[in-house]
Formats: sequence, structure tokens, C-alpha cells
Amino acid sequence: MAKALKGIRVIDFTVWFQGPVSAQYLADFGAEVIKVENPKGGDQGRGVRSMKALPIGDWNQYFLVINRNKKSIAIDLKKPEGQEILYRMVEKSDVFLSNLSPALLEKMNLSYEKLSAINPKLVYATNTGYGRFGGVSKPSFDMTVQALTGAMARLGEPGQPPIYMGMGSGDAYGGIMSAMGIAMAIYQRNKTGRGQCLDASLYGAQLYLAAPYLQAFLAGNSQSALQHSRKEVENALWNLYPTAGKWVYICEENTDERFAAFCKALGEDALATDERFATAQGRLENNIALIAAIDTITATQADTELLSALEANDIVHSPVNSYADVVKDEQAWQNNYFMKAYCEEVKREVEIRGLPVTLSKTPGEVNTLGPQLGQDTELLMMDLLEYEWDQIEEFKAKGAIP
Amino acid sequence: MSAALDDVTVLDLTQSFSSALSAAFLADFGGNVIRLELSAQERDARQVDGSWDHEADLIHRNKKSVVIDPQQDRGRALLAELAAKADVIITDWMKPDLQALGLDYATVCAGNPGIVYGRASAFGPEGPDADRPFIDELAAARTGAMPTLQQPGEPPVYTGAGAMHTSVLLAFGVVTALVHRQGSGEGQEVDTSYFAANMYGASLDLQAFLAIDEGQRERLMHPISRLDVSNPISGSLYPSSDGRWVTLTMPDTDRWWPLLAPAVGIDVDDERFNSHEKRCEINRHELIHELEAGFQKHPGSHWRTLFSEKQMSADVIEQFDYPAQDPQVAANKYIMELDHPSFGKVNSLGFPIFMSDSPARLKSLAPCAGQHTASVLHEVLGYSEDEIYQLTTEGVVV
Repeated sequence: MAKALKGIRVIDFTVWFQGPVSAQYLADFGAEVIKVENPKGGDQGRGVRSMKALPIGDWNQYFLVINRNKKSIAIDLKKPEGQEILYRMVEKSDVFLSNLSPALLEKMNLSYEKLSAINPKLVYATNTGYGRFGGVSKPSFDMTVQALTGAMARLGEPGQPPIYMGMGSGDAYGGIMSAMGIAMAIYQRNKTGRGQCLDASLYGAQLYLAAPYLQAFLAGNSQSALQHSRKEVENALWNLYPTAGKWVYICEENTDERFAAFCKALGEDALATDERFATAQGRLENNIALIAAIDTITATQADTELLSALEANDIVHSPVNSYADVVKDEQAWQNNYFMKAYCEEVKREVEIRGLPVTLSKTPGEVNTLGPQLGQDTELLMMDLLEYEWDQIEEFKAKGAIP
Repeated sequence: MSAALDDVTVLDLTQSFSSALSAAFLADFGGNVIRLELSAQERDARQVDGSWDHEADLIHRNKKSVVIDPQQDRGRALLAELAAKADVIITDWMKPDLQALGLDYATVCAGNPGIVYGRASAFGPEGPDADRPFIDELAAARTGAMPTLQQPGEPPVYTGAGAMHTSVLLAFGVVTALVHRQGSGEGQEVDTSYFAANMYGASLDLQAFLAIDEGQRERLMHPISRLDVSNPISGSLYPSSDGRWVTLTMPDTDRWWPLLAPAVGIDVDDERFNSHEKRCEINRHELIHELEAGFQKHPGSHWRTLFSEKQMSADVIEQFDYPAQDPQVAANKYIMELDHPSFGKVNSLGFPIFMSDSPARLKSLAPCAGQHTASVLHEVLGYSEDEIYQLTTEGVVV
């Protein structure tokens, strides 16, 4: 199968989540991604074996999935000989990607100026916390950055705490933003022969997680910064409703025809004949009463009962499913949003997140899960970097590679 | 300075905010994005109350607008001619609607095999739900994350983040396919969906869920009270004295405890909390209780200053007014001030990606419907002034 990014070599000098996800997208589409890791422990993400105090499986899924399809070379970059190896990699690569801070990269002699002097065709990409400009360089984690954007504060019922959009939600978003920038820079480089420096920060990306609402706020709609109750949404036909089991999302326009169909599905004549709700305008003006009335009806129904009535009446809806449902969801499996891959660590097939974007003629692939620390060091030293064996022995003796 | 995508002509056949934004990302980086406005209904939906159409000036910025009447044979022929000249099509239409106008992949590809055809759907191109309406809420509800985000007892939460994730996935897929085309000349279909994007937004919990034993899954399926978090100083929320919330991400409690404890009025050596195990297991609830009291002693501004001075991985949860005024945001052009011809100086979302050699730039705000019909017919399709006049008088184009 052809690969869209075949022939693109990426130095992946990233840790934790956002950076590795960015490189994962490139690797999924065929780029040769080489993870450069410190021989002492490597990417800190290798150590994440639990979440919310819960062990998360008998295999190292946090690390192995976002670092799939990658190679690993272990280099001690504190040693001059280690730097020499990395510089030789830079000569032979198309992309350098890191989510260490630009200040630290500078200190390690890995600045854009330094590396682009070695290889002017290099695409040099960083994932900073708060952007390349402006001077802020405090520690950045997904949730502490999400906190600043205003995206959390507008979610949840009024008076309730703000809502975090889920573990790694902003990191994942920063990751795809970064991958998009890199793909554009490669496209440009293929035309001009020149590389460039690019940055996709957590902050910059996350400001887009709430783009429609933030843009409305910037235009003067101060309400869009605030929490809003589901009991007060304008169109009662586009709302979440409780049942005795799962919640149900109804997504219908506020027209008489859809309202009549919805009432039929609810099996409630009283609602259909209530004069307050007889017109679209009436339903908007009496939205709170209407939502309360619907709540009363649905809250005691079994979810299965309501769902089949909605289906029978052609109401656009979905049950609010749980993770237990989605992992069995046929739709997700058929589109390769979930896939299976062989895991060396436990010697069996495991289930993984698959490909959220697919290309028909050069589909992404998952060939291997994440590499062991430094597993490709010797091979890359010989084949890619063309060192002789005695030179490799020398590097080892000096501790530049393990 | 050049633009990364200045040799790429894109037809924008989108209806939703998120897909229109995908095309805007390509336009921001130089793509010649032509928005096809085909239905009068869609054009009339534009803001008419005289206020700034802030949404259009974000999702249609840097684009051209062409109005063609697809009800006429000549109009459909023009669409086919444009599709034959395009490098990229971005759409979120349903398949039958595309087929009706000959703008589906098979038809376009027959005349233009190099086309990169990006389409976002609700649930992906395969499977039983491939034809469901393009509504992010439906997909978000299917993903499993919604019933986990809120406090226990509260309704599930729709964040809208999945739709924004879809925008970038689609743009990434299209540019990746363009890279492939540079070398091979080969076009192809690019697909993503709200469902996929919502799954990736929930990626950590969802991947964890796939990997754990059935018996352990329960804890990941339900909301966890902020007063019952497994690590009191990581992923937790505490109210400050002015009601603003404080959030901490300090998974390695040994590293942060000596900095945090004195700040919240707890003795670093307090025997109840002097090990990670005591903080996160044995006396976890007691620590949460102490932190709840400690953070309420001062307002949010106090905590922001303190976190910043001590370089702590913590922050105060802000509303949109914060980024709107944050000099860091302005310095990076994440939000930019622009000079609007009708509304003067306004703030608008800027560019999330910095590129040194081919930066995103604002060349134009959202076009008026049909603003570029004549110029596109001339420049892209080579029509003469007379021919364009003819098409206009016949009502084929506007």
C-alpha cells in the first residue's frame, strides 16, 4: 500500500502527550519517525502506568499507542559525541519536532538557527505551552492551559464547577494542530527547497477548542462566556433529556411538524395540546416550562422504550452512551476508529485507537506499537548514519549511546 | 515571504462552522479557496440585523465567494468546470446532495483524477450510520465521554470540542494528501468525522478503557466528584475566596508538596501528609478538605501571582475576558485586532499555528455572496467579460 508521507524522515524529540501525538499522525501516514530519547529512562511518558489511581491495563498503552509506528534511538545529548550523532541525523532528516521549551533546546545547542544551518531544508517544529512570542514560559499541562482559555468556565450547570474536557483533550488537539502545520511546511518545502520554523502551542490550539463561543464573546456577546443551564436552552427540541437509564440527546429544529412528531414519540397528548407550546414562538417563550414538562415525561421512562419510540417517529436523536458502549460500537470498528495491533509486551493482540482521518489510496496503517527504548540505535547508526562499527564502539565507550 | 498553499485551488462546499473553518485554515496559509454558494436560502441566512457577522469573518476569511444557480443546466455545467480545475474540494454535504449536482467524488474524479476530496461526515464513510445527519451532538453522545465530565448527579456535558477537532483533522488529511500528490500526481478521498474526532478528544480515557479488565472499567465510566479525586493536587478544582476556581496539575506530589504546602498554610512536615502515599491514599480525603479550606483564604489573583512566582503547574480558571486581554495571546496573534470596514477595530480569533517563512495572514474578511463570481469565472475558467455578462443576465450566476 502506498504511503502519503513515504520518504519523509522525522526526528521526534518529544515527551508526554502533545508532541508524540503530532508525530504519531505523521508516522501513521508513512513518515519514518525516529524517537530520540535519553538513554536513562527515555520519554517520561513511558512511566505512565495508571490514571485516576487506576492501573490502566497490563501493557503500557499510554506510551505504546501514541508512539506507534516509530523507531527509537537512545542518545545522551549532554555529551558532545551525542550531539554529533544528532547533527548527523539532522543532515539526513526532513523534520525536527520537539515539545521541550525553546530555551532548553537553545541550551542543548538544538535551536532553529543551529539546526537549519546544518540542513536548510529542515522543517523545525516546536510545541510550546504558550507560544513562541510574549515571554511566558511557565510549566504547561493540558488542564492548566485549558483553564486560561475560558473554555472550561462556560461549561456545566450554573453554580457548578467548571468542566475539564477530558484527560488529554487539549493535548490531542495541540497534537493534530502541530501535525497540520508540519504537513503544510513539508508541502511548501517540496516546492521551494527551504525549510522553516513553526510552532503550535497548547494555548494557541486550545483557544480554538471553543472557537464559536470565544469568537461570539469577542464580538460582544458576554453571555457566551458563562455557564448555561440545560433547563433553559432556547429550543427545547435540541437538548439532553434524562430517562430512568441513559440520557438522550434530541436534535430537532423547532418546527410544528417536528414538535408534533416528538410529542407522538413521547406518547403524551397533553403536551401536544398545550396551548403554550402550540407555535414555534410559544415554545421559545415557554422554553423553561416545556423542558420541565418533557423532563417529567422522560425521567421515568426506560431508555430503551424512549429510544425505540424516537426511532419509530423519525426523531433525530442519540443515546448518551458510555465507554462500555463505544468500545463495542460497530460504527467505530468499521471505520477503523478502533483497530487491533500486536503487542510485544504481552504477546497478544490488543485494542487501540485507530485512524480518525483516512486517505482512500494511502490509508494510514498501524504496523507496530511504540518502540522499546533505544531498540533501533545500532541499526540506525549503521544504516542511516553510516558509522563504522569501531566508531559505534567508541560512541558506546564514551557513553553517547548505550 | 510566501504562502505554503498558494498553488492550491480549493472549492469550499460546506455548511457547518467546523468544515468552513477547515477551508479557512487552508485559505489562511495561501490556498485559493472559492466558496460556492448555491442556495439562496443559505445566503439569506447571513446576519441582517446590522451587527458584525463575527462568525463569517472567522470561518470565511481569506475566501472568495461565487454564486451559481445549480437548478439550471448551465449552472451545473459551470460547477463541473470548476470541479475539473480544482485541486481540493472540502465538503460536509450528504452524499445524495453531492451526487445530484455531480459533485460527488466518483464524478469529479472521472474528469479530474488529481482531485483531493476532503469530506467530513457525522459517523464516517463506512458502516450503518454513514448517512446520519451531520450533527456533532449525535456523535459526541455516542463517544462515551459525555457522562463522565460533570460532577456526580449533574447532567452530561456537551463541549463542542469534537467539532473543532474535526476541522483540524480534515485540514491535516487534505494537506497530507496534497503532499502525496506532489510526488505521485495522484489524488484521493480524505475522510474524517465528528465521531472520530470526539473519540480522539477523549483519547486517554478511551484508550485506557480499551486496555483494562472489565472489572476495573466502572470507575472510568462515571463522573468523579472533585472532592474524591485520586490525587488531591492533580486534576483537582478548588474555589478561591472570590469564587474563581483554582486547578492544579502536579502528578508528582513529592516534587511539588514542599512548594504547595506552605502556600496553602499546611506545614510541609505535617505528619498526615508527608509522603505521596499519605497524600494520595491514606489521608487523601483529609488533604482535599484542607486544600478546600486553604484555597478559600485568598482570591484568584493571589493564587495566580503565587503560582507564577513559584513556577508551579497550576492556574486560575478564567473566562473568555482573560485571553481577550492577555498580552501573551496578542503577541502570538492567537487573537488579533482587525480594522473592520464597517465596525472599526474589533477583536477576532487569529492563527493557531506560527510559521516563520510562510505565515498565516489576513488578506480579506468574509466575502459578500457572489463578490468573486466574475473574477473566478475569468481567472479560473477563462470566461470573457461578454460571456460572464451573458451568464449573469440569464441568472446562472450572481
